[in-house]
Amino acid sequence: MLDRSIAEHRITREPPVLAERRRQGLATYETAAMPTAADEHWKYVDLDFTMETQSLPAQMGAKMAPPTGVSRVSATVVDGFVEIDPEHPGSVEIARFDEVARRNPELFSAVVASRSDDIFLAGNAAFAGDGLFIHVPRSTAVETPIVIDIQSVSAGTISFPHIAISLGENSEASIVLIFRSSEEELVVAPVVETTLGDAARLSMTSVQTWGRQTKGLGYQRVRLGRDSAMKMGEVGLGGALGRLDLSVDLDGDGSSYLLNGLSFGDGDQVLDYRMVLNHRGRNTSSDVLLKGAVEDQAESIFTGLLRIEEHATNTSAFENNRNLVLSAGAKAQSVPNLEILCDDVVCGHGSTVGPLEEEHLYYLASRGIGRERAERVLVKGFFDEVIDKLPSQSVAAPVRDEVERKFVAAQAAGRLG
Amino acid sequence: MNPALDVTDLRASVGDIEILKGLSLQVPFGEIHAIMGPNGSGKSTLCHVLAGKEAYTVSGDARLDGEELLGKPTDVRARMGLMQGFQYPVEIRGVKLVDFLKEAADEAGIDEDEAVRRIAESGDQFDMTRFLTRSVNQDLSGGEKKRSEIFQMAVLRPKVVILDEIDSGLDIDAVREVAGAVEAMRSPEVGIVLITHYSRILRYLSADRIHVMMEGRIIESGGPELAAQLEAGGYEAFRARLT
Repeated sequence: MLDRSIAEHRITREPPVLAERRRQGLATYETAAMPTAADEHWKYVDLDFTMETQSLPAQMGAKMAPPTGVSRVSATVVDGFVEIDPEHPGSVEIARFDEVARRNPELFSAVVASRSDDIFLAGNAAFAGDGLFIHVPRSTAVETPIVIDIQSVSAGTISFPHIAISLGENSEASIVLIFRSSEEELVVAPVVETTLGDAARLSMTSVQTWGRQTKGLGYQRVRLGRDSAMKMGEVGLGGALGRLDLSVDLDGDGSSYLLNGLSFGDGDQVLDYRMVLNHRGRNTSSDVLLKGAVEDQAESIFTGLLRIEEHATNTSAFENNRNLVLSAGAKAQSVPNLEILCDDVVCGHGSTVGPLEEEHLYYLASRGIGRERAERVLVKGFFDEVIDKLPSQSVAAPVRDEVERKFVAAQAAGRLG
Repeated sequence: MNPALDVTDLRASVGDIEILKGLSLQVPFGEIHAIMGPNGSGKSTLCHVLAGKEAYTVSGDARLDGEELLGKPTDVRARMGLMQGFQYPVEIRGVKLVDFLKEAADEAGIDEDEAVRRIAESGDQFDMTRFLTRSVNQDLSGGEKKRSEIFQMAVLRPKVVILDEIDSGLDIDAVREVAGAVEAMRSPEVGIVLITHYSRILRYLSADRIHVMMEGRIIESGGPELAAQLEAGGYEAFRARLT
């Protein structure tokens, strides 16, 4: 049961824009229903918990060991509570929500959305702990990547981390988000909201390695200003359930969004990707490539909608979802969609679902490469195509290792084929 | 000394249909042999059967340097020293050519320093260096793909090379270039079999023997003059000799 007095107590202490947001969130949360599989947006996903079975974290739980593969962490979020490294790169502002809402309510309101009907988004607005705000001032280029480590550690909780990212006009930054959790049974519903000002450039890499008893319900919201460009790398490897609900608004003329992502499900993992790209400005472009593998009893879902609005002339939009189904009991669903209301566009979408291609295996065999090694080489190559394009290559090695570990385990257990 | 490749009375069928009907062929080390035949003569089947592609019922004998090939899986045959160059090499996204060759070399027991040395040397020789860090065969022109096949063999050094229609779909400059690459591969350690429909490529390399294949058999073997006869009279002139 989520204790509403926690939200009410925060409301009395917080600056007005944040308190109002929390109040609205609470009101929506109390009338919102838990989604069911009958809801198209939640089809194939079984949420076997209710808000009644979970509690809110009362305080920051025990921090996990530092993440591998990244240099210094600028901020750590544990169970929704924020800890900021006081020595973080000076040119970027990193602060808690209440501080930004007090000092600069206009900036806060411009980046953090106020309303949503979704129970987890509303719950996040109502019950989020601190909230972490990252602001890169206009015409500032941040050289070193800003690394944020988002952990969920306390058993039986549902936590609501919230990260807001704002890039001022003509600024540039690189961000790495690491989502991790303990091996406790818990739920986490993180929200990442990103707003790029005109001509801003953001490279962001998100790596999800939740524990195997975590149900993760992630949300990403992106708004792109005129001539801004975002390059995204998205990695999903952990969780009993690893869901990402991604929505990108290409509002500004000339804005662009590029995503390279990968997922690998094993055991009985469910990895669920829901993407909507709204092309609203003119001359915008997007390119999404998401590659996934499933083995054992794992299941992956991809639904991607490219929506081109009526006045979005000269749009270029591509979306591709490629799935390797490595075991007989594993499943992958892929549903790419186009909704085009403008005729001056170049759009494409594709999806594949299937095992490793025999023709490829035969080519490798013809060079003397045996079946086991050939499978490993092909799966590695399948993922390397996207791993090589992750904006932050510092995470590439641990991601590659984890993918290989999963594959080799499946192969050793004889689950392939 | 064993021939590089020694095929005796090779038969292959799919279901009830016999495609290879008792084919015999000997290719000594150091030589280039061309097998020429019209569409449907069984040229591609010969290539598949020697390489070990499943789906055929096979009988007869095919020895590589004295060792039996038939009945072994494709990767084992390749490690014994038989490699085929494909008519349409597949594109394998994400697998870099250099990594692919290192894996193949490792599987063949070539040590890594030696593999790296060969890759550098042959990469230079066949002008493939710039393709090493790209995905295998991806975005290569027809001629580049065929050159890549030959380059891979130059690194892995098989004892028998079978090139299936390596000249098909290439313009004349590319044919000349690929022919040069085949000639460059010639050595006393390898026997090369060139399977082709057209005599065009034979103008740019010196084949030691020409074999005419029809209806699943070699019906005539001879020197380079056979290619000239084919060019003049086509396959029809040979069809009359079938019994």
